[in-house]
Amino acid sequence: MIPAFQTSPRSTARALAPKTAAAFYVAAWIVLASVSPARAEEPVDFARDIRPILVAHCFECHAAAKQESGLRLDSAATLLAGGNSGPALVVGKAAESLLIKAVRGGDDEISKMPPKGKPLEPAQIDLLARWIDQGAALPADSPPSAGDRLSDHWSFQPIAAANPPVVERRDWPRSPIDAFILGRLEAAGLQPSTEADKATLIRRLSLDLLGLPPTIDDVDRFLSDTGDDAYERLVDRLLASPHYGERWGRHWLDVARYADSNGYTIDGGRSIWKYRDWVINALNRDLPFDQFTIEQLAGDLLDGADTDQIIATGFHRNTLVNEEGGTDPEQFRVEAVVDRVSTTGGAFLGLTLGCARCHDHKYDPISQREFYQLFAVFNNADEPTLSVPTDQQAKELPALVAEIEQSEKRLAEVDANLGSRQAAWEAKFAGRVDRPWTVLDATIQSAEGATFTKLDDGSHLTGGTIPKNDAYTLTAALPNHAITALRLEMLPHESFPKQGPGLAKNGNFVLSEIAASVAASGPAAGETRLAWGEVWADHSGEGGAVALAIDGDLKTGWNISAPGNANVPRTAIFYLREPLTATDGKLTLVLEQRYNRPHYLLGRFRISVTSAEGDVLKLPTEVREALAVPADKRTDAQKNAIRLEYQKYDPERLPLATRIAELENSRKQMAAKITTTLVVRERKEPRSTHIHLRGDFLHAGAPVTPGVPAILPPIAARGAHPDRLDFARWLVDPRNPLTSRVTVNRLWQHYFGQGLVVTENDFGLQGDRPSHPELLDWLARQLMADGWSMKSLHRRIVTSATYRQSSAMRADLTAADPYNKLLGRQQRLRLEAETIRDSALASSGLLSDELGGPGVYPPQPEGIYRFTQQVKFWGENKDADRFRRGMYTYFWRSSPYPFLKTFDAPDANVACTRRPRSNTPLQALTMANDRAFYEIAQGFATELCAAQVDDTQRLRTAFRRCLAREPSNDEYASLAEYLDSQRARFESAPEDAALVAPRSGPATGDRARAAAWTMVARVLLNLDEFITRE
Amino acid sequence: MQPTTPHDRSRLLDATRRHFFAKCGVGLGSIALGSLLADESLAASNPPSLRDPLAPRAPHFAARAKRVIFLFMAGGPSQLELFDFKPKLQELDGQVIPPSYTKNKRFAFIKGDAKLMGTRRKFTRHGQSGAELSDLLPHLATVVDDVCIVKSMVTDVFNHGPAKLFVNTGSSRFGLPSMGAWLTYGIGSESRDLPGFVVLQSGPRGPRGGNPLWGSGFLPTAYQGVPLLSGPEPILNLANPPGIDRTRQAEFFSTVGRLNAQRLAAVGDPEIATRISAYEMAYRMQTSAPELIDLSGETARTLNSYGAEPGKPSFANNCLLARRLVERGVRFVQLYHTDWDHHGNTDTHLGKPLDDRCKEVDQPAAALIKDLKERGMLDDTIVVWGGEFGRTPMGEPRDLVGRDHHVDGYTMWLAGGGIRGGQTIGTTDELGYYAVDDRVHVHDLQATILHLLGLDHLKLTYRFQGRDFRLTDVAGNVVQKMLA
Repeated sequence: MIPAFQTSPRSTARALAPKTAAAFYVAAWIVLASVSPARAEEPVDFARDIRPILVAHCFECHAAAKQESGLRLDSAATLLAGGNSGPALVVGKAAESLLIKAVRGGDDEISKMPPKGKPLEPAQIDLLARWIDQGAALPADSPPSAGDRLSDHWSFQPIAAANPPVVERRDWPRSPIDAFILGRLEAAGLQPSTEADKATLIRRLSLDLLGLPPTIDDVDRFLSDTGDDAYERLVDRLLASPHYGERWGRHWLDVARYADSNGYTIDGGRSIWKYRDWVINALNRDLPFDQFTIEQLAGDLLDGADTDQIIATGFHRNTLVNEEGGTDPEQFRVEAVVDRVSTTGGAFLGLTLGCARCHDHKYDPISQREFYQLFAVFNNADEPTLSVPTDQQAKELPALVAEIEQSEKRLAEVDANLGSRQAAWEAKFAGRVDRPWTVLDATIQSAEGATFTKLDDGSHLTGGTIPKNDAYTLTAALPNHAITALRLEMLPHESFPKQGPGLAKNGNFVLSEIAASVAASGPAAGETRLAWGEVWADHSGEGGAVALAIDGDLKTGWNISAPGNANVPRTAIFYLREPLTATDGKLTLVLEQRYNRPHYLLGRFRISVTSAEGDVLKLPTEVREALAVPADKRTDAQKNAIRLEYQKYDPERLPLATRIAELENSRKQMAAKITTTLVVRERKEPRSTHIHLRGDFLHAGAPVTPGVPAILPPIAARGAHPDRLDFARWLVDPRNPLTSRVTVNRLWQHYFGQGLVVTENDFGLQGDRPSHPELLDWLARQLMADGWSMKSLHRRIVTSATYRQSSAMRADLTAADPYNKLLGRQQRLRLEAETIRDSALASSGLLSDELGGPGVYPPQPEGIYRFTQQVKFWGENKDADRFRRGMYTYFWRSSPYPFLKTFDAPDANVACTRRPRSNTPLQALTMANDRAFYEIAQGFATELCAAQVDDTQRLRTAFRRCLAREPSNDEYASLAEYLDSQRARFESAPEDAALVAPRSGPATGDRARAAAWTMVARVLLNLDEFITRE
Repeated sequence: MQPTTPHDRSRLLDATRRHFFAKCGVGLGSIALGSLLADESLAASNPPSLRDPLAPRAPHFAARAKRVIFLFMAGGPSQLELFDFKPKLQELDGQVIPPSYTKNKRFAFIKGDAKLMGTRRKFTRHGQSGAELSDLLPHLATVVDDVCIVKSMVTDVFNHGPAKLFVNTGSSRFGLPSMGAWLTYGIGSESRDLPGFVVLQSGPRGPRGGNPLWGSGFLPTAYQGVPLLSGPEPILNLANPPGIDRTRQAEFFSTVGRLNAQRLAAVGDPEIATRISAYEMAYRMQTSAPELIDLSGETARTLNSYGAEPGKPSFANNCLLARRLVERGVRFVQLYHTDWDHHGNTDTHLGKPLDDRCKEVDQPAAALIKDLKERGMLDDTIVVWGGEFGRTPMGEPRDLVGRDHHVDGYTMWLAGGGIRGGQTIGTTDELGYYAVDDRVHVHDLQATILHLLGLDHLKLTYRFQGRDFRLTDVAGNVVQKMLA
């Protein structure tokens, strides 16, 4: 109920509420004078007039028991603070107050209140309004303490110091873990299972710690090691392997929703593998989990953060990006921040925070306001891309930049003293600049049926049905002067794609070949082909030099692609080797356009001829005209045009300019090779965060500042408000009851198939309670006592007797403990998608064990992209990268590598804290027929056939490479019989044998044998046991 | 011990079998353990068996329909050019839309001051029901008395990817199961040698959104849609590797099966039995799937009626394949046809590109209804036609004229499977902007489809992250008017 209401001046209440509410107790009741005079006659009294209305109509949803929309009306402090939509009152302005709008109804901003039952009487509404208009005088109180929200739910309680129970069977426990487990088993009248045999143990450990099966040598060494601590030494050896980081890194990458593309519909590629490699390295160097957490959430905020710590912030850049047209960027930025809150909740706190996005959490003590306080923690980050040069690149790039700057300086000097050189150049043209080009008055014909319009300026405009390729033939009477050169001007036109001047979609064209011939008048005269001399163009695209138009090769030609725009006039000049002096006769020009893509045709063009010679022809018209003006009469624009033209030819300038272009090109190439990765960086100017009413970012409610749920321990802030670094440190503060429990539970889940809390991502009220709460707490405390060392935690679990048990089914356990929650045995677990692939590669001897680097492209079935909006790049690797571990396979979110998807790898759209383990016919088809997997069977056969042993030994070896153990007699017999029958059948079907036998195998002769071994290898890789950790 | 999650309960049932298996020492020759026990999981009110997740299961109540064919018109077809004729819109063509319509509204591309645009298409009434259709849909006109046209569809999201997710999963966010996954989770599939949920694709490109549109979300992956590819290999990895004929494949499968059975005898884990039956079904699929896509047995009359040409991928072929799939017991078939996103670019305007889409779709969709009807299957097969949203009454001027995405009123149609044909439900206002009468939200449509299949959308739930999720989120009402 309401604490003693006291009176306070409104202004004080507003300024101080709700933090320093204690101050209110000393204040006196004062009605503010600034009220509407019309209604001032009868002051409304809160206790007498207002409170009863609130009690009757509002308290059911807005008091101690329930605070719908974050609004609590049973205390002055919370009434003034308002709810998620903002302050409930605007003092002195009833009409603007949400409270009045709500009870009156009919407002866009807020729903009518109360939502059900009898609405307020007009007289009551009037009272409320008058009370507000009069200043909303309220007796002061202190805000209800957070103590109201305490919970007795187990996971919010401090982590207890638990002692292992006393057990009857003293000889079984190897560690306190086992005492906790055995205690429960004994209480249920059950005994643990015997220890698994050594071959099973080493395969289990190798698969669990490295994600790879042991080699036969590993197995033999372990079998023959009779030392007391042979097992512990094996564990240490495995934990020291770099493959440990890959194996457990992959588990973490599920949580981090790591992928190599942006997601949603366009799903473009992204580069963030440096983050993936950071995870692998962090685990391999046993970076303590608290530091692991801090660097990923806030590495950029650490004092003197190094590059690695900044790369680590990629954790929260694994969010999706919607590149679809017509999207509101803010909407998807908000989605990404929401995802960061939800992922953080699932990954560290085991809380379904996302449920509080649109309304207070239905089950857990998390209010919508608190969700947005967490949102505010993550809302203040920018999302830059970080360049991560190699040491060599870091040295070479600045050197290159320095050289460019130096060359540019020299260039500026050269340009500053071009006076005398330019004068000499200009002198060359003296008196020669006014010789005009004559537009050729030609008829034109298309070889493929295009039509032409002649425009007023003498240019031809191509139209009609546009063919893919064409050849234009132009015919004209010879002019009455000699011809020394011919000019082709390509001109834009608004009717063309990109306005031309070509007809291709990008405005380009390709002139494959230009040929000119002349025929004297008279019927008998033959044609004479004219020979070209120099050719020149003011612009040529890459690989499209104008000389290619006279090289006799129809496959090459002049084009105007990048660098440079379409939509600008371009000019080419073709000099005749010998001037044509005849003036009587017919000139024929053939313009071949045979590019291998459609419509790369000349769109609008003009052909001119001249009798002038030399470089003057290359001068653009405005330069020619400028040169014609006496030097002292030229405008600045004309002088500038001449200078710019001269610089194209300045012999002192050219080598420098070329050099700079080369250097610039190298710089660009080097920059393009530098790996980039996505990171988070705190903004200097903080964003303000509001509650999003109903989860809609367009409906901003009350403002909030960063904070954590009141149900959890308080957060310490370095500044006015906590930031991401404060938050990360709070997550791993030993007083935080959730992070360590959630972490040890998730680890446990990977070893036993389910966590001590089965709902690994929900430690809230709807989640399962722990099966062994004391063990969970003991492990959580040990983790912290071990300085958050993950390797120590792994060691503790895998060296326990509990872990070492046999996984075989036992009827008594099945009856008493059907879900194996008491762990009276180990659990058979189907391997994860990547581990199945990795095991096959390792068993067959094909595995490339290179660590890290960009994503790779192993073979995948045809037709993957028929169901995606865009075809994805998949440059199938032909080298060792074809056989890299599955975790390095390039992951497109919209079309994941099918093998991974089929075996339940997550799609990386949201955090995944537990993978399902399905068992489907599509998996069987994949294992049996997938070409990548089949190729592995062939490689396995090659390896097997190469060994100098008999077939009995070969078969045993093959079996042990896959399953570590020896085959039983029955198993051996089944396989041997299969081998023999296949071999016999292949001998009578040599064509089949040739197809099935490995490519690298024998060319002839023993192909049937190699093919039969491929079939045996295929069987072994398809066994249930092969894809199961026993 | 109380089972807490569906997964747990399912494991309990399996454990019961496990116990039975251990006690009775069942011979390895007969692996079909499921049949030894009256299977409690064979009803939608219980979780399905982990061993045979797609086994057919009884619905919550008597079903009107057994299967669904969802013709998904990806991109958002224009209801104003196809179904919803608005004289007032014609009259106001070229005028700026009154701001009262667009206040506080967001659009993908256009702004609030966009101009209204009447349609250039002609509308006439058809059938006994007198349904009004444009001249773009002459074939639909011939079956219109079997069709229920819903002119008052509304949805929540206006970008393609999220909106497609919304229609399929009931949420615009990732991670939730699609309708086909929910259905096969709820009632399994009647096909023993094909997947229960099959997805087909036609048109120039795949639908925006990809895999998650037919994903299983947090449901087991056994329920995700299996894309059927055009071409000789309709399912990934269906064909034997080179050099392995049917006999050799049979020998391979039987050797794997024998060795797995030996392991099962040694460790007793029923997962191995599941693996054995999965391999058996895979082997059957290798025969049944190629047989499914082989249209050579179809009569010329059938092929002509659809406009299908064997070997030439098209929406028509996919409609025929859809009929063949449901004939074989497949529960949910979804056909995506792109691209209806007619904004007004040179290849996406409301002229020829729209003509082309309609030509590709109209005849096969009508033929599918007729074909199902002739075979007596229309009564228990629901056919749904529609996209992720509709298009604005305002024009979107780009290179040419088109319309922007519109969520407040658009059209879909349904036929068969307990749907009352020969009626039009709902109206939009005089501009065709807002659905005004009988509004049907996407969640209502989902609830209705589930209802026809005998499933209560409130009860078909799955516990995930502490919450019981369902297809219809926290909304959805069965649209009684749609029901026959």
